Amino acid sequence: MVAKVLSSKRKFRIAVAWAQDSNTVGAIQKAVNDGFAEAIMIGNGSEIVRLCESISFKKELYTIIESGNESAASQDAVSLVKSGQADIVMKGLVRTDKFLKAVMDKENGLMLPGATLTYVGAMEIPAYHKLLFITDTAVIPFPSLDQKIAMAEYAIEMARNFGIEKPKVALIGASEKMSRHFENSVDYAIMCKMTERGQIKNCIMDGPLDIFLACDKKSAAIKGIETPINGDADILLFPSLEASNPFYKGLMLFGKGELGGIIRGTSKPVVLMSRSESEKSKYYCIALACLMI
Amino acid sequence: MVLKKLEDLKGIVANEPIKKLVLAAAQDQHSLSAVLRAWKDGIIEPILVGDKEAIQNISIANGYDITGLRIIHEPDTDMAVEMAVKIASSKQADVLMKGKVGSSTLLKCVLNKEWGLRTGNLLSHIALFEVDTYHKLIAVTDVAMNIAPNLKDKIAIVNNSVLCLNKLGISLPKVAVLGAVEMVNENMEATLDAALLSKMNQRDQIRNCIIDGPLAFDNAVSLESAQVKGIRSEVAGDTDLLLMPDIEVGNVLYKSLVFFAKAKVAAVILGAQVPIVLTSRSDSEQAKYDSILLAAAASKRI
Repeated sequence: MVAKVLSSKRKFRIAVAWAQDSNTVGAIQKAVNDGFAEAIMIGNGSEIVRLCESISFKKELYTIIESGNESAASQDAVSLVKSGQADIVMKGLVRTDKFLKAVMDKENGLMLPGATLTYVGAMEIPAYHKLLFITDTAVIPFPSLDQKIAMAEYAIEMARNFGIEKPKVALIGASEKMSRHFENSVDYAIMCKMTERGQIKNCIMDGPLDIFLACDKKSAAIKGIETPINGDADILLFPSLEASNPFYKGLMLFGKGELGGIIRGTSKPVVLMSRSESEKSKYYCIALACLMI
Repeated sequence: MVLKKLEDLKGIVANEPIKKLVLAAAQDQHSLSAVLRAWKDGIIEPILVGDKEAIQNISIANGYDITGLRIIHEPDTDMAVEMAVKIASSKQADVLMKGKVGSSTLLKCVLNKEWGLRTGNLLSHIALFEVDTYHKLIAVTDVAMNIAPNLKDKIAIVNNSVLCLNKLGISLPKVAVLGAVEMVNENMEATLDAALLSKMNQRDQIRNCIIDGPLAFDNAVSLESAQVKGIRSEVAGDTDLLLMPDIEVGNVLYKSLVFFAKAKVAAVILGAQVPIVLTSRSDSEQAKYDSILLAAAASKRI
């Protein structure tokens, strides 16, 4: 992923909202040192300088904009991107709701008209043979059919940016059977048919599938299920936040997984992750955002 | 097996022991003439339940030979229908046919919980068409029985129809779920149901057939039309069974095939213990005869 960003030979200007957070500053420093980022830190100047000094992040390598509180810092970061003075907006130590309020502001925010605001992540898991794109792990609690279609399309776009021309999309459920008890299986059947008819493009889609059928070849053979995904999914689309969020957090904690993710549906990339996430994950998020420009 | 003409059904019937057909309230010239013709052709062995005197009078007036025919005398229509249904439910007959009685009266008896012909399945109507412009027989369901089937009903209707077509020797019928368009459209319920039925078929939740839909009528019956639209489908252009979104569409299609395309048609009610021939007075005698033929073929035990 990083190699791909570097090959663009561009430097991306990143506006960080409420930047006084050690993991965030660390991730930014790495991106700047690797040569693909310029940093604009918005927040409490002296606190930011202190954090940067502690990791020997030199003052001449970043810009500081003084801001009084979380909300103001978020608005400033968003307006820098909106006015073209920065390329990417990134969340620092701000609470997600305050940050998103600035992003979604009708007049000054970054929303594309009519677009679905959603989240796509790319996950590196040692036990899986390739990157796994997952959606939506952060924004939509219970996506409707339309929102699921938007989620799939954003994830497909991202996978294609990684050079996967026709990504395999697994629509995740508890079982591969259609059931009236699982409303999501109904949406999934509709989406599969839409893909067959070319209404959702550039992918191979199947669902409902459980994680085994999606990501483990042996399971498909044992169950005797014929699916074009066949244990080789590029994208997992989850039915709800309650399913997706524990999936990725579990993998981070127990499976040595690392996640990079960004918000989609905005006019410019927005980097948002949990405040407690590691420096490495935040760094990947920045790289991912650069790739989506 | 490919059936090209309704006449081809005779081959299936000929390979089976002769089927018994019980005609309820048999004092009806229209059904009697078709039944007697089918009897003479060795397609069925009739049991007539009804007013014996009236049956004899009709036969004399129309020159029918009813020598050797089994007639059970029951002048009361309701009693005659009840008796006919009981004959079928006690396995003494393989096909039930409506004579001079309203459809609702007959169906009420069929659905009787104690002595009717219930199986727990939904009753549905299937019509089998012979159209000169199509390369084989094509079945259409449901054009007469279920008004606005929901998804669960549609599953039952497909299962009834597929079992019937299996009995006719079409081991893996191709089922097209009809819509106004071949695209999934959230504002068109029929296209959503079509997508669900396709997926359930892929997952083996609906078996012994290949389902695709939504397909517009032209995509379903013409490969060329499907190719022009770029639809990749095992069913398009080679449909054995058309599943209608509702009775209005089905009924109009049925009647346009008969009146404009001069199609021959046979129809039965499925989902009961035996196939039921429920033709209406306005059907031609040939259609009644062909429906008896279809019922005899569809009553094959597998």
